[in-house]
Amino acid sequence: MSEAGAIPAVKSRQDELYHEAAGSFGPAIERLAHAYEADPDIRRDLVQEIHIALWRSFAAFDGRCSPRTWLYRVAHNVATSHVIKQRRSKGPGLIGLDELDNLPEASSRHEAADRTQDLARLMHFIQRLQPLDRQVILLYLEGMDAASIGEVTGLTARYVSTKVYRIKGVLARRFNAGGRNEE
Amino acid sequence: MKNESPTNRMQEIWQCQPVEGIKMSVEEIHKRATKFEKKIFWRNVREYVAGAIAIVFLAFSIARSHNVLDSSAFALLIAGMVYVMYQLHRRGAAKSMPASAAVGPSLEFYRSELKRQRELTSTVWSWYLGPFVPGLVLSALASAAHSFHPRHIAILTFWYGLIAAFFLFAWRLNARAARCLQRMIDDLGTAE
Repeated sequence: MSEAGAIPAVKSRQDELYHEAAGSFGPAIERLAHAYEADPDIRRDLVQEIHIALWRSFAAFDGRCSPRTWLYRVAHNVATSHVIKQRRSKGPGLIGLDELDNLPEASSRHEAADRTQDLARLMHFIQRLQPLDRQVILLYLEGMDAASIGEVTGLTARYVSTKVYRIKGVLARRFNAGGRNEE
Repeated sequence: MKNESPTNRMQEIWQCQPVEGIKMSVEEIHKRATKFEKKIFWRNVREYVAGAIAIVFLAFSIARSHNVLDSSAFALLIAGMVYVMYQLHRRGAAKSMPASAAVGPSLEFYRSELKRQRELTSTVWSWYLGPFVPGLVLSALASAAHSFHPRHIAILTFWYGLIAAFFLFAWRLNARAARCLQRMIDDLGTAE
């Protein structure tokens, strides 16, 4: 409580950093939260929790990594914590990328032509993944390269590259049977 | 769009998905952070007050008791309660994430979270269940010493059996969770 009481009324560097990051990456935070929480109400809480954690974290921002890397680390860590908590209370089994690739399709191929359906399927697919696989696929979908993903996750670039290659394969098989050789 | 690669298409679909546009001003963040700190503070107060009430109740029972065995059992239960409260206070950080913990690379954070959870679950016997056992055992003996009537003994056996079953169930549940968490930690070893 004492910490909270000490929050200054004027905008500090912490506030400015937060303001800039939230302005640039607000939609990305929401997309990330969507991938971690299916329930819309709980998801809104998760988004707010990420924003608060982000603001608090910027008090310790030392510039050793980019604000984007910092933001994704904080957001994924808060969301991972959320998954662990939810998993302990609800207990849905999370699986790896390989296991997910072997699961039967829930809907028929022709439905995949629809973007909304594709997004729903993609979300369903991601929400079942273990946290680390989920982080890699989300950062990949956000358009980050292997080196940047490695910086956020702490995984080696080589490991991330292999993982991304497999993710591309899984996505190609799942969402377009003919597009597997795009590498 | 026909020649677009499926993964690029998925990236586009992902990045163009509709979002609610949730925005929080810095002032709102300040307010919520304060509210969050207050929530944590009052949660801790509630836990300590609940423990204190139990201790007062047990102390009152000691004062009313004229039997050394009963008093000793209550004293041991108080000691167990104090120890568990101290452990809850010490491990309090495990319930909410400190700001500094969330800034490291995800792999490191995930592993430390799993290890922390495993530590809590695998040691539940020593810090949460075990401290109450001496007091409960002595309490059962003290109650049995009051009367050796078969009906009295049967009732005692039933109630203390129920408590023992609960302890065993909680311990096994936590042990299973600890094994599951350990497997998840082991799996992370291959992710580097």
